[in-house]
Amino acid sequence: MEPQTVTISKPPRMRIVPPLNFCPVERQLYRSGQPSKINFEFLQQLHLKTIVWLASEDPIDEFLEFVEDEQIELHFAGINPDGGDNNPWDGLTESSIGQALEVIVNKDNYPLLVCCGMGRHRTGTVIGCLRRLQGWNLASVSEEYRRFTGSRGGRVLVELLIEAFDKSTITVDESTAPEWLLK
Amino acid sequence: MSDTIYVPPLNFALVEDKIYRSGHPVPKNFPFLKTLKLKTVIYIGDKEDNYEYYDFLKQEGIEFKYLKMKSPKEPFVMNDPKIMNDALSIILNVENYPILIHSNKGKHRVGVLVGILRKLLQGWSLTGIFTEYDKYAGGKGESDMEFIEIFETKLEVDRNKLPFYVRLDTT
Repeated sequence: MEPQTVTISKPPRMRIVPPLNFCPVERQLYRSGQPSKINFEFLQQLHLKTIVWLASEDPIDEFLEFVEDEQIELHFAGINPDGGDNNPWDGLTESSIGQALEVIVNKDNYPLLVCCGMGRHRTGTVIGCLRRLQGWNLASVSEEYRRFTGSRGGRVLVELLIEAFDKSTITVDESTAPEWLLK
Repeated sequence: MSDTIYVPPLNFALVEDKIYRSGHPVPKNFPFLKTLKLKTVIYIGDKEDNYEYYDFLKQEGIEFKYLKMKSPKEPFVMNDPKIMNDALSIILNVENYPILIHSNKGKHRVGVLVGILRKLLQGWSLTGIFTEYDKYAGGKGESDMEFIEIFETKLEVDRNKLPFYVRLDTT
């Protein structure tokens, strides 16, 4: 192809605002806190197919409407299946972690966003377990988790959940797993 | 999946698909780095005697771009706009991917480069850029944020080789 010179000297006119605690995790896999209206243009750039919502309460209405308008598939993985009290400060159950990871290890669901209210602990738990599945050493997993926990730091219970996570409970189907998981 | 334990470099993260940031890799990170199938490494720093690392890069056939810049200590040592431009020119050519950009700790110098990328090439709001910068820098580096904010440039690049995440105004 003939070179076609373009000059880059200014940012694009429309500024986009990433959601709280947004970060790419792997190719077409992202993490964040609950997006609000100011983040929608940003999210549109990601062409999301699926969102995994990890909080114990429903997302805000404007976010639900956005998800519907964009025809994004929304998975609720954070609700305690045994019923009872759902406290936002409770950790995720093992079955919630498993449900979320099952969505994540299937590339048919990509591009994919994993999020919870603040994008700190619940999202951090699931991404931490994913890193274990990828074979990361635990200290690096904790370092990454704490990057997103804000000034009050990480929770010991979250790190224990990640440490105790049993990789063998997740079945990875090689024909549908994302390429980066199969190394 | 194997049972190998992979140790990513300090402050490792994805910036976008096939472009990564981190601190300076050490030998325990080599098995992890191999999984990234890197084509190019950009090092913004001034350490010149990490021979084991240079051997590794050579063995793997990875192009090593050494952009010499001291760690800024304002008001006496500043970030160097020329180094940032050199790095951007490499980043703006898709043929150089996958790329790892690193400094020594993966906090400040790399944080500045990623901040400029977010602003100039993706049009992120400065607030989003500063919170990302701070995740790695951990409360230090106010002058780096100023640098990101006021940085100006003029780069001539080939449109056909731009990475997918670059947003350009269509006019």
